[in-house]
Amino acid sequence: MSPSDTLPLQRFTIVEVNDRDVPLCLRLATSLAGKIAADLGATVLKVEPPGGDPMRRAPPHLPQGESALFQFLNTSKRSLVLDLAGDSGRAALAKLLDTADAALFEEPASIAALVRAGKATPIEIAAFPVELDAAARPVSEFTLLALGGLLHMVGEPDRKPLRLGGHQASYAAGLTAFTGLAAALAARAAGHTAPSVRVSLAEVLQWVNWKAASGAEASGTSPGREGRSSEFQIVPCKDGHVAVVYTVTQWPATRALIGDPRLMDTKFNTRAGRRQNVAELYAILTPWFAGKTRTEIQTTAQAKGVPFGPIFSPSELLDTEQYVARGFLAKLGDYRMPQLPVQWNGRSFAPKPAPELPA
Amino acid sequence: MSTRPLSGVRVLDFGLLTAGANTSAMLADLGADVIKIESGAYLDPFRVVGKPDDNAGWWNRSPQFRFTNRNKRGLALNLKDKDGQRVIRELATHCDVVVENFRRGVLDRAGLGYADLKKINPRIVFAAISSQGDTGPERMNVSFGSTLDATSGIAAMTGYEGEEPRISGMDVNYPDQIVSLFATGIVITAVMEARRTGQGCFLDFSQREVASFTLGEEILAASADPARAQARRGNRQDGVAQQDTYKCRDGRWIAITRDTADPALEAFCAGHDSTAAVAALLARGIAAAPCNDGVDLLKDTALAGVTLARDDKGGLVKGLPYRLDGRGITIERAAPDLGQHTEAVLRELLGYDDAALRRLADADVTSTTPNSGET
Repeated sequence: MSPSDTLPLQRFTIVEVNDRDVPLCLRLATSLAGKIAADLGATVLKVEPPGGDPMRRAPPHLPQGESALFQFLNTSKRSLVLDLAGDSGRAALAKLLDTADAALFEEPASIAALVRAGKATPIEIAAFPVELDAAARPVSEFTLLALGGLLHMVGEPDRKPLRLGGHQASYAAGLTAFTGLAAALAARAAGHTAPSVRVSLAEVLQWVNWKAASGAEASGTSPGREGRSSEFQIVPCKDGHVAVVYTVTQWPATRALIGDPRLMDTKFNTRAGRRQNVAELYAILTPWFAGKTRTEIQTTAQAKGVPFGPIFSPSELLDTEQYVARGFLAKLGDYRMPQLPVQWNGRSFAPKPAPELPA
Repeated sequence: MSTRPLSGVRVLDFGLLTAGANTSAMLADLGADVIKIESGAYLDPFRVVGKPDDNAGWWNRSPQFRFTNRNKRGLALNLKDKDGQRVIRELATHCDVVVENFRRGVLDRAGLGYADLKKINPRIVFAAISSQGDTGPERMNVSFGSTLDATSGIAAMTGYEGEEPRISGMDVNYPDQIVSLFATGIVITAVMEARRTGQGCFLDFSQREVASFTLGEEILAASADPARAQARRGNRQDGVAQQDTYKCRDGRWIAITRDTADPALEAFCAGHDSTAAVAALLARGIAAAPCNDGVDLLKDTALAGVTLARDDKGGLVKGLPYRLDGRGITIERAAPDLGQHTEAVLRELLGYDDAALRRLADADVTSTTPNSGET
């Protein structure tokens, strides 16, 4: 058995190339993939442009002015500055690539050809699939969410489409790039030629949003944001809000939990019936929540096997009993941040602070 | 194809719905041999949720099941039956990975948990994907899709300006989608370690933690400043001058992100059709895009890239979220009918003969139809 002070990826070296003038949404994805590998023990060399990765200045900020985004996405890495516009910087990068196992970089980038020619397996992150001739198209994380169909899914049908909170496009792509990186390392470790990996945010989002395509293929019309006509609603309670969610098989338990005889009406027996009578359904459900706290609701509902979701803000999560019990939030100086969401034989992977910009 | 990243890796797949079944599907995408275990008494719920009609064989016609389980072989073995459990333990000795997303304790009670399987196969990598993780006071809590939008923090940051929180809803169930993108990479990492050391491991994934992990910077910022406002802000974003969706003359919505604010943007969009508005904005160097729906995604094959594919029956299935050596997925087999490969796999891996297979079928340990009255 491997001793607990060894980390699973510690025999690997990965170069994360941060070229100039790359859209921030791509940089977030590259950085997340590198961070996961670094927290798992890989030596991750973050090559920053003179002046540093622009993410060092991106919001949200910590009280001393550092970027919380940068601190979170660059844990456990090392950093060096190279001017990749100059010959000496490119020569130094080429040398690093000769001894590394894999290289993460964004496309389009001035160094793409250089990285692809190196011995390290290239893992590239782009906005669009190669089929789309869109190398120079202006792009944002938000417009990619629109293209991938995710904006269409959230909000009221007669009001504007909404994005999900956080950087979901970049993070989903970053998780994907990490898995592609792991596959490449596994091939190398087995003595095979590793496949090059290409991740585009547009493809990742469509893959995530597959039910839109599946639904459109099956019925000819796309699923979309349902807002107040959805069977699942957000209802207010004593100290916040709760998401009413249950599977088809959990409806009888949900009905029993609420305990209102009007719910026995046969029109509520099927999903179609509940959707047809959704205003009336919620007129019956909503009062049950009004006088109860989120914790009371969760405890009572879970006891009956009903998966209602109390809504917690990121700051409330810091005190969540479950997260505290599992040690999910790692201490980093005076602050805390989520660590990798996996326990390996009961072990967590504590992140080390992000690197300062070398002088 | 003998040198794909996971060639030679065999996966015993108890994964259900998206979180579990899709993690195994991603392992299959990389060359693993995935054998999916269901039972006549308990089908993958996707077979039921997505059934198009009540006619015989409905359990083999769900689009959602077909999307997620391509390139797997399918076995139906009763987990609650002693003989079913014995057969699965025998299969586990021929496998490298287990993927499961049952409620905690289900496999332990069947004698098929990590502690049991480790004894007969020490190199097994056991990936347990659950709502809250395998430990802690909420380990037995159940969730369904958007429960975790709510409890992870994502819903609190999603919504119209100053209004109530929003969830991704049952047609997205966002937290279920992202867990496999992460879990697959960790399973691969553990397989590498098992190859190197001969020792497997227990991987405990909490889906709620995966969803909260995507808000890492917000949680970090909140730990430094508990009073930090984290209310709903519509489509606005810190550090971005102007960002929103706007309705165009043709009734379609487009998304725009601008580095400098332009108060005339709303009127501009209202006066143009969406295609013309997007083209004009892009030409001026401004990020703009239509808010596509599922029908648009099916039509735009260039944009779809490798994310969709067709099986040999012509059915639309899930493709890849990335491409390897420039390529997308090869569909070698459509998603299995219930129990389609039970006999073939038990013959191939365990050397069962006709008589042994007949005994299992006669005892309802194996089956090709639901046998719990769900029809």
